Amino acid sequence: MELYKYLPKTNCKLCGKTCMAFALDLLQGKVKADDCPPLLEPKYKKQYETLKELLGSEEGVEKELRINVDTDLCDGCGICVTICPVNARYCPPSLSGKAPDYPPEKHQLFQVKGGKCELLELKYCRRIEAEGRERECRVCETYCPREAVKIEYV
Amino acid sequence: MKRSVCSGCSLLCDDIMVKSDGIYIDEVFGACLKGKEKFDQVTSQNRILSPLIRKDDTLQKASWDEALQRTVDLIKKSKKPLIYGLSNSSCEAQLKGIELAKLINGFIDSNASICQGKVLDNAVNSGITLTTITEIINKADLILLWGSNAAESIPRLLNKVLFSRGKFRMTGREIKTLIIIDPVKTASFNTMGVRDVALRITPGKDIELIKVLKEECCAADSIPSEGVAGLDKDDMKRLLQHLSGAEYGVIFVGQGLLTPQKNSNLINELLELVQMINIKQERGRITLAMMGGHFNMNGFDHVALSMYGKRGNLHFKDNQILETDENIISKIENEDFDCSIFIGTDPISHFPMSLSSKLAKKPIILIDNRNSATLQLASIVLPTTITGIECSGLAYRLDHIPIELKKIINPPSKIPTDEEILNQIIQKLKSDGGN
Repeated sequence: MELYKYLPKTNCKLCGKTCMAFALDLLQGKVKADDCPPLLEPKYKKQYETLKELLGSEEGVEKELRINVDTDLCDGCGICVTICPVNARYCPPSLSGKAPDYPPEKHQLFQVKGGKCELLELKYCRRIEAEGRERECRVCETYCPREAVKIEYV
Repeated sequence: MKRSVCSGCSLLCDDIMVKSDGIYIDEVFGACLKGKEKFDQVTSQNRILSPLIRKDDTLQKASWDEALQRTVDLIKKSKKPLIYGLSNSSCEAQLKGIELAKLINGFIDSNASICQGKVLDNAVNSGITLTTITEIINKADLILLWGSNAAESIPRLLNKVLFSRGKFRMTGREIKTLIIIDPVKTASFNTMGVRDVALRITPGKDIELIKVLKEECCAADSIPSEGVAGLDKDDMKRLLQHLSGAEYGVIFVGQGLLTPQKNSNLINELLELVQMINIKQERGRITLAMMGGHFNMNGFDHVALSMYGKRGNLHFKDNQILETDENIISKIENEDFDCSIFIGTDPISHFPMSLSSKLAKKPIILIDNRNSATLQLASIVLPTTITGIECSGLAYRLDHIPIELKKIINPPSKIPTDEEILNQIIQKLKSDGGN
């Protein structure tokens, strides 16, 4: 609760919640330090700067998400296509379960082409779009039988 | 862009897309590497495009008439011909194969007899139900891979049965339990989650595990405390709990269980265990599913069953079917043949040295579309089309569901299909016999 120490602790509710709730949201990255109006006043300037520093050091430099598919290892089983929750949301149910169709839907992350898995659109990945615990999604990497899918931050 | 059926393996995926202009195949979507290789076979380097005849100990190109005439002459000379293969042909070609066997008083068998044929026969006789892929997707909550490495042998099988979100299994992977019994840590182990059970058994000790599980079914706490076959007592208890608590369990029987063993019949023991568990079961049932390699592995069983009421091992004499317990292995071992016809298979590299050396002594007629070890020893080679890509036909999936394969492109240099070649041989034999 280090973040709470540096907030005004006045429970003024100008941000819509108590200072404790604001600190929790701050931790999860839902709000920014600028969203607290009293904090921007000159008398809290020192606390504001420390808070910025704290949050900055936690997030570090913004890293870019990469999903690498090793085409030498991949055998096109399509488990990543089926298991990906983003794909599943938009896929129509078919006789053989929910399977992505062709042409691929615009949200679809993976498709199998020529016996190899291919990454289509990364920007809809849960690690970028979703919030909370869903952001830690790693199913494609976990369940790949050939260990061909790797999630990295570069 | 057309929806097509993939004939790469016995799963016969019907959800792949093929982009083709009717002459070449441009792109294949959705098929695994195994299926893609099958499509690549069309233009591959080891494709045979013209008939070959062995002259002066080398294979030389020949005309169709000459090759067919040589084939008919060879068959007429032979007293005990052997026909083997047909698991990579359509059911129509298998029907013609049986017709040919009947005409020449031969013995005909398919690849299934050395693979999963015996399991199927025994399972049906002991009243254990077989299941379908659709049922597994929508209802199964327990999948047991016993001696099979599905992730590498049939790449899309786990994708369909384990990861798909079915009607009554909406969460897909999370609600299904996977158990693997295998001596080797295969690629299938990588698809396991925290709830799943991995059992690394000592090789060749499956029979002991089955026997102990059967005892445990009759009387609780009969598992020895030190465990059996390299497995923990707790692990075995968990396995039995999963099996008897499942709503709809499926055992995928792989090649690991089909290996013949001395003094014991592994398959019968397994079937008895499944029966015992099913009696104990309160919520549901355990069913069996067989893994097959060639795409029409089950087709020959169904064709032979519908014609002669027997699965495989058809032995003809004077237009009559003989009751026989022999199979292809015993036939070759006893050298009870004088000429062999292989259709779409490569027995010289599949069989062990002791059998293939016996095969090599007698003349071989090969009907296939690719270069193989058998081709190097064959007397006559007749090229054919690739079923499912260059000609249509019926095939049975691994869960015994018939699926229609469609023609996508025309075959190169007007090569006939398996069915046409067998029909031509039959017609030629009949007209020659009349003279």
